Amino acid sequence: MKLLTLSEQLGLVSYRNQSKSEIKPHIVVDTDICNTVCPHKCTTYVCPAKCYTMDEQGQVHFQVEDCIECGTCMYACDQGAVSWEFPDPEIGRGVTWNYG
Amino acid sequence: MDEKFDCIIVGAGVAGLAAAMTLARNNMKFLLIEKGEFPGSKNVSGGVLWGSDLAKLVPNYWEEDGGWDRFINHRRLTFMDDQSAFSVDFKSSHFNEPPYTGVVVLRSKFDRWLADKVQEAIDESDYAMDSFIAPNILVEEVLMENGKATGIRTGDEKFYADSVIIAEGVNNLLTRQVGLQNKYVPADHILTGIKEIIRFDQEVLENRFQLRGKSGMSNEFVGFATDGVEGGGFLYTNQDTLSLGLVLGLKDLREKGKEPYEILNTFKKHPVIADAIHGGEVVEYSAHVVSSGDKRVMPEKLYLPGLLVCGEAANLLMNAGKAIQGMDYAIRSGIIAAEAIINAKKAEDFGETSMKKYQDSLNDSYVMKDINNFQDAVHLLHDPVMTQKMPNLICDFGRNFFSIKNEPTQKARKMFGKSVKKHSSYLELMKLGWKGSRAL
Repeated sequence: MKLLTLSEQLGLVSYRNQSKSEIKPHIVVDTDICNTVCPHKCTTYVCPAKCYTMDEQGQVHFQVEDCIECGTCMYACDQGAVSWEFPDPEIGRGVTWNYG
Repeated sequence: MDEKFDCIIVGAGVAGLAAAMTLARNNMKFLLIEKGEFPGSKNVSGGVLWGSDLAKLVPNYWEEDGGWDRFINHRRLTFMDDQSAFSVDFKSSHFNEPPYTGVVVLRSKFDRWLADKVQEAIDESDYAMDSFIAPNILVEEVLMENGKATGIRTGDEKFYADSVIIAEGVNNLLTRQVGLQNKYVPADHILTGIKEIIRFDQEVLENRFQLRGKSGMSNEFVGFATDGVEGGGFLYTNQDTLSLGLVLGLKDLREKGKEPYEILNTFKKHPVIADAIHGGEVVEYSAHVVSSGDKRVMPEKLYLPGLLVCGEAANLLMNAGKAIQGMDYAIRSGIIAAEAIINAKKAEDFGETSMKKYQDSLNDSYVMKDINNFQDAVHLLHDPVMTQKMPNLICDFGRNFFSIKNEPTQKARKMFGKSVKKHSSYLELMKLGWKGSRAL
């Protein structure tokens, strides 16, 4: 069986409010903390949706659009950089699982 | 809405639905709030719902073709190294008759079906017009007055009740807000589950896994499945899909620097898994955090005046080696929570002592008895000797034992000794055996 890339896997997810151009992010990341004091920058590899990425300079960036609300980053980040809420049903992103 | 409810339940997963069903049957006026588009739409589980408590909510659920996918009559525990799989396999027609020992469910379908059953119970209750299941609403705050829960807030709107049941799931923000769980929960006893749903022609699936009618198989994996990270893998047969996934210790994942989807792909490439899933089509990729069953992560207290916490919000989930139990704990704790609310309503007392009865009943139930009794097993399952060395040792022995070479064959004991020396030591094995015999 052909293995899927992460973007193909995420392509199967039904995200909410996809027609809205502006959404209210349910996770806010203080990347200054990631990029100054964090010794591991672990969100860039533990996040199952790769919402956290590292650029060539080693700087952490975050985007909420692909988030599947699993909660991983809320526990994995032990530096206090991640503020995690549930997405707003009307103006947030987040998921509706077809199987679950 | 100015009127006051007897109870507001936050979260329409299995815990919240079990509580709601119990309240409806006892003519209580309640509001069940769900943040997803419909009940189940935000839920992910492995998932097998173990035991027979589902029949407490929906008697004779097996008579209708809805909600659940397959009943389990075939269990398999597999130890894996990079090429081999050595399984303990048990199948029995003892498990063919309802009430089943477990049913496989897909939450988006199952919770929605269960919510319809709750709605039917509401319709038959005294509060058919006054109790509600309200999806698409995010509860942002539990309202507290002088240390007592009085209701909830969503946006600018407030709803009031004599009691609040928090059934919000493992990412328990409201439980933290009311002070029953720390604001930051460290990764130590938390795992990340990831899963693919893989679709087949139903007949192909049934032939491949020897399923008949609604029978199904559950298979758990330890060893190579998690590529050196503590945790395990699972494979469950649904009606025409497989649930294939991993549960990965989050602290270990962080320390080992691994990516969960890469580990899943490595798992899928294992020859045994590749054979099981070939020809299938991935139709969903999902992930969700779960708690480990380690008591160190659980809130010590599950109540406040006018407030109870149940299900995964209370970290009620455990894998002690026999099965990953969580949804059944959710059902039982939801029922017990609702019963405490019903008694409180009768006594017109929602105070501390009255609410504590929930925790007392939960402690007397199999849920907390098992969690308390099997803490050693939980620790053992997260021991690297158990999750890494043992599977390698077992598979090494298996390969030697089952190899027929047309040359003089060693006695099994000698073969075993070689495998022990290669991957572990007799001392380590004895320690593990000693721990294991006490833990299980």
